[in-house]
Amino acid sequence: MLEVTDLTAGYNGLAVVRGVTVTVGRGEVVALLGPNGAGKTTTLKAVAGLLKPLGGTISVDGAATAGRPAHVLARRGVALVPEDRAIFADLTTRENLRVAASGKAKDREAEVLDLLPELRKCLNRKAGLLSGGEQQMLAVGRALVGRPKLLVVDEMSLGLAPVVVQRLLPVLRDVAARGTGVLVVEQHVHLALEVVDRAYVLTHGRLVMEGTAERLRSDEGLLAASYFGDQRAAERLVASSGGSAESPEAAPLEPRGPLP
Amino acid sequence: MNLVLLFLLLGLGAGGVYALLGLGLVLKYRATQVIDFAHASVAMFSAYVFVNLRSTGRLELPWILLPHEIPIASAGIDVLPALAITLVYGTLLGYVLFLVVYRPLLRAAPLTKVCASVGVMLGLEAIAVLNFGTTSLATGPVLPSVPIRIASVAFPSDRLVLLGIVVAAALALLALYRFTRFGLATRASAENETGAALIGISPTAIATRNWVIASAFAALSGILITPISSLDPTSYTLFVVPALGAALVGRFASFPWTAGAGIALGIFQSEVTLLQAQVPWMPRQGLGDGVPFLLILIAMTVSARRLGVRGDPGTMRNPSLGRPTRPLATSIVCLVLGLIVLVALQGSFRAAFISSLITTCICLSLVLLTGFVGQVSLAQMSFVGFSAFVLSQLGAIAGLPFPIPALLAALTAVPLGVLIGLPALRVRGVSLAVVTLAVAAAMDALVFSNAAFSGGLGGRTIGSPTFFGIDLGIAQGHDYPRVIFGVVVLVVVVLVGYGVARLRTSSTGRVLVAIRSNERAAAFVGVDVARMKLFAFALSSFIAGLAGSLLAYDQGTVSSASFATFTSLTVLAIAYVAGIGRIAGAVIAGLMFASDGLFVSFLDAWLHIGQYQQIVAGVALAFTAIQNQNGVAAELAGEKGLALRIARLRDRILPVRWFGGAAPAPLRTRSTSDVTRTAAAEPAVAVKEEAGARNP
Repeated sequence: MLEVTDLTAGYNGLAVVRGVTVTVGRGEVVALLGPNGAGKTTTLKAVAGLLKPLGGTISVDGAATAGRPAHVLARRGVALVPEDRAIFADLTTRENLRVAASGKAKDREAEVLDLLPELRKCLNRKAGLLSGGEQQMLAVGRALVGRPKLLVVDEMSLGLAPVVVQRLLPVLRDVAARGTGVLVVEQHVHLALEVVDRAYVLTHGRLVMEGTAERLRSDEGLLAASYFGDQRAAERLVASSGGSAESPEAAPLEPRGPLP
Repeated sequence: MNLVLLFLLLGLGAGGVYALLGLGLVLKYRATQVIDFAHASVAMFSAYVFVNLRSTGRLELPWILLPHEIPIASAGIDVLPALAITLVYGTLLGYVLFLVVYRPLLRAAPLTKVCASVGVMLGLEAIAVLNFGTTSLATGPVLPSVPIRIASVAFPSDRLVLLGIVVAAALALLALYRFTRFGLATRASAENETGAALIGISPTAIATRNWVIASAFAALSGILITPISSLDPTSYTLFVVPALGAALVGRFASFPWTAGAGIALGIFQSEVTLLQAQVPWMPRQGLGDGVPFLLILIAMTVSARRLGVRGDPGTMRNPSLGRPTRPLATSIVCLVLGLIVLVALQGSFRAAFISSLITTCICLSLVLLTGFVGQVSLAQMSFVGFSAFVLSQLGAIAGLPFPIPALLAALTAVPLGVLIGLPALRVRGVSLAVVTLAVAAAMDALVFSNAAFSGGLGGRTIGSPTFFGIDLGIAQGHDYPRVIFGVVVLVVVVLVGYGVARLRTSSTGRVLVAIRSNERAAAFVGVDVARMKLFAFALSSFIAGLAGSLLAYDQGTVSSASFATFTSLTVLAIAYVAGIGRIAGAVIAGLMFASDGLFVSFLDAWLHIGQYQQIVAGVALAFTAIQNQNGVAAELAGEKGLALRIARLRDRILPVRWFGGAAPAPLRTRSTSDVTRTAAAEPAVAVKEEAGARNP
């Protein structure tokens, strides 16, 4: 349902992400992994419409969305939970949910509260007074209240206690179970790989690896190698385990030529 | 007692209008973070439309040169249809202004928005003056009014109806914002625009809708005030000042507080009128206008909590700063060029050039305060005026050799500057702008309008400056303007410019800019923020005071009209639009934008814009603000800008080895925005290099 093809995106005309291709299917949870500065957040911003791509195509359910502003994409069912959460601190929790739900606000609110029951006790408190974990729940809840087709979550675990992360990550599975596609960026690689179906690894703005969570989980060295940009080592590992972890679009790193 | 009650009830009239205008201002601010100084101008224009529909049945259109009157009825039309047409008209006018001026500026720095709205205000007022003249129109009642009695006091019932309208409007807005999705969306979008966009709210659409509602409020206020106050362009435009006061009490957020404050303000002014009639020792003028602003000022300073947090311009939104490269060489070049211009120009052009220089001096005080330290002051002309009047009353001291009286007069502005600096220790950003406007209004009403101080309408005369028997004055017999006076002004202004430039590159200058970027971070590295802010206010008011002395000598007679509340607004606007972060900006403001300056005089002489001057100025201001959000000077200082070429020329005439300078060749003006751009670009480069290094 989300198809990102050959995406180039960046700031002030300077490409940060080059030639990235990512797909997310209905009901699938996909992670975007990679070290700091790899371009994960940039990719998400382009998907959510916060950033105009410099090249490539993005489509949701077959309709091209690249370059559309964020509020149009939100109405078409793309919901981003940004890194800074962007909750409305002066509004109460309930108001935060209600402002995001158009139409049958009450039903949808109840749906979200069933998924995140912790929010019930703070419905009438100002969102700015919630704890970090509650705020993150609210951010996810607010994204879900519009019943998105695609949920995009950036660094959900940032600044949260491990116990909260362990509570929140599985929620994404529940969301996907209803047919929503989920795309996450996550620094807690091991926790993420417990939850997601597939993962892409980005380094220096390029896709270096793609694989099912199972494969990536089973081969620690592969992931570590790709994280540190050592593609030759990664490919050796892949070759020795039989099969190709490299996605067809993932070009080798800039300073080196293609491998023989 | 009955009289007190009567004046209380009468005060409901003005108070109700302040409240309605204030509600519109709050709506606009909450939705767009614009403090719309042109809000009452829309009300003023709507009032004219309404009055003309009622009396002649002609519809007044907001332009000049083209026919501006359309007859839609053969005679005056009834209240209700006229009311309906005017409401639609005012709403449309507000909508068009929003599309043309405010929408392109939605993401601009707060001060850019203020400047654009000042431009709109000047433009609308000027159109009204041209189309309708300045004579006051008295008009009939709008609301049904019968005399009613409360406790043996008879008064017109329309005041109670007005009160009802205000209460209903405040409650309706309160409910709209608290309970509807539209209201929630507006609050959400004001707080976090990205967050709002991510849940499908279009910030622009929300802003537009709120603006349209606020414009309808403006039109309604304009109509409702016509029976209470006789209609003329200037006094209606000035209604924005008490309305801002009311909005300020409501912290630009609360509808009930704003409505309450507006009504209280109206009642207070009405009661003061009564007091003045009954108590012989009360000052005749200014109390009603002045005291409320003093109260607002004190209340804001004492109780400022979180106001200004949102309006606080972030680091990235500060206007770009210049870095003077070779202040001494530049000053010498400017001095020589200035002398040539002074000698070359004759008559009124020479006088205009001198006016330009004085405006440059005023703008330099703002470059220091608003540009370097980020403290907005809408009271700058109060310093100028105060010093000018003090100079006129120095008596025997005025006979001392030239710089002494001028410097003494300028020094008297310093305590005033420190006083205005005090609220700045607690209030920031746009709120500070409004607080300083309150100061300007209070000064205007209590000091400048006080005939004992300012000499009333006639103003006060100032003797020529002398230097050990040499007359340095601007006029000597029929000789006007004299070159010698021009030279005096030029030398003073160049010295001030040199001083400000040196300050920018000194360690003190770095501290000031650090405060502008982030007060807290500055405090963490050991800067005494409060002391440095007060220092900046003191120095800035001294420079403004110096300009006041020069202005007094220049004009010979000073009167309070030169320092009215809105002159400060205009000065800040032209300084900002010309480029408030740079010395060159002050020079451009003086030469190009000052209404009595050189460029405008040239235009007037060649194109005979004369009566259209204020319209041109207003429109130019609004559009320059939209086009050059960093200021004209910053645009010129860009990669291929004019400033670089001028600097190169200067270096050829006065090579670096002669007069030294901070920057060695090759010369490149660096603005703060350049610095941030490089900073953003560098990590990417570094990563690439690292990658290369790891893979030989």
